[in-house]
Amino acid sequence: MASTDEDRMRKQREAGERESAKLWRACRTVHEMVRDRGYQLSDAEVTMSFDAFKQKYTTDDGSISRKMMNFSASPTLEMIKRYSNPVTAHDLHPSSPDIGTIWVEFLPDSNVGIKQMRAFAQHLTANNFHTGILITGVNITPAALKIIPAVASETRIECFMEADLLVNITHHELVPQHVLLSKEERTALLQRYRLKDTQLPRIQLGDPVARYLGLRRGQVVKIIRKSETAGRYASYRLCV
Amino acid sequence: MSSYPATSATSSKTKEERDREVALYHANLIQQRKDIELEILLSTETLIDYPLARSPYDASNPSPADAKTFKELLRPFQPSDYDALIVERNINEHCGYALCPNPRVKEEGGGRFRILGMNGKAKDFKVVEKEELEKWCSPACAKRALYVRVQLSETVAWERGAMENAANIDLLDEPKSEDGSLAERMEKMDIETDNAAGKKDAANLALERGDKTMAARNALVNINIQEKDVSKVPQAPSLDDKDLSGRLDSMHLTLEGHTSTFGSRRERRHNEELDGANIDDGEEDSEEDTDWQL
Repeated sequence: MASTDEDRMRKQREAGERESAKLWRACRTVHEMVRDRGYQLSDAEVTMSFDAFKQKYTTDDGSISRKMMNFSASPTLEMIKRYSNPVTAHDLHPSSPDIGTIWVEFLPDSNVGIKQMRAFAQHLTANNFHTGILITGVNITPAALKIIPAVASETRIECFMEADLLVNITHHELVPQHVLLSKEERTALLQRYRLKDTQLPRIQLGDPVARYLGLRRGQVVKIIRKSETAGRYASYRLCV
Repeated sequence: MSSYPATSATSSKTKEERDREVALYHANLIQQRKDIELEILLSTETLIDYPLARSPYDASNPSPADAKTFKELLRPFQPSDYDALIVERNINEHCGYALCPNPRVKEEGGGRFRILGMNGKAKDFKVVEKEELEKWCSPACAKRALYVRVQLSETVAWERGAMENAANIDLLDEPKSEDGSLAERMEKMDIETDNAAGKKDAANLALERGDKTMAARNALVNINIQEKDVSKVPQAPSLDDKDLSGRLDSMHLTLEGHTSTFGSRRERRHNEELDGANIDDGEEDSEEDTDWQL
């Protein structure tokens, strides 16, 4: 009798441990993603060890609190520069860059519907967050996803699943390095090759790396691959 | 020759205008579609928290106001949108039927399937998924909700004709109380009937023709049907018409006053020209097929 009880306890503990490990890995990937996009995060936040993670976010009942894992970050100067609109002859005072603080929320709910999405959008607008990343453990209902374009004029919402974030895809050896070009670099590239932007190869908005980098339609990424013959080979893709 | 550039300029301008018109037309269609999609989304959002009126109303006897808005909001829905609404309601622990104030049931115990109809006839016996049962508060509500679902049109709202759009949705058990619906009918009653009757007739006619659809309303081609006013008294055709004899041999070919002719127009012109040429100066070359001579 005692042994079965012990057994069950052990199994429960192991399941809890696995769950925490998953959350830790998702949390780490999200932090890396936010930093790779150019937001300000300290090294300590990004490379947190599993023990430190458990210590920080475990509640009294022994489980990890997703609520406490939410965080926000503001763009670095470098990122602001990359997103800024260049001064041109006919546009002497370009509008300020279309970026701002980002809010990352881990949603513990077992179902994500319209209500949850609305609440998230309202939280973003109320706190003046420019972008929001919603990380859920379950699939979001199709109706709730339609909220995103409906509130697109106020705030930018991106959704990820915890299961998709267990590994950082950009660290895989078969995924080449993607670098976002600033608007100036983009015009320089198009001028140099005498192209219209539609003549570039394309990358889809829903591409995993495009989602990772939070690409927008019309942006150009430089993809740097390893090449047997040339050492490094750069190609450019337009996000559509 | 001097007019040539001018004409080309005007034609290019008209082409630009034409392109613009086509682009605008398609943009409008897409915008309409987006508007309707947003409308459906907002309706879904509203219907999540229905019914607004609680006791003494319940699912079998909804308040007239709620039932009315429910039917109106549901008009652009497709069955799939309706399913999405049920899912959204279930997430918020409501019964799937939008006019039911009860929470949905939670089946106890594990397992994916449930066995139903064990002590009835064999045809009642069913194995259903637990999730299906958990959508509703009772089998009666499931019936009510699905009764509404089968009335929804499969066509997307922006491609529906006026007939489909105006179709009314019935509830399985219409409200028994008359107060609200009576007031509704009183509102609808029109005192200026003579004017309204004419308008209604015109509307019905338009409905029948199907020229009230979204696509027809802002079509590329502007169609105006103009009735020809006939003021004089109609006369029956009579046989003692004078030039009847000339038409007698082709009269069996006449369809509603139009006599079809044989041979292409060019051939006929050719023949006419040949006749003319014979009279004039005997030139027999026609305008056609002269290229090979060059």
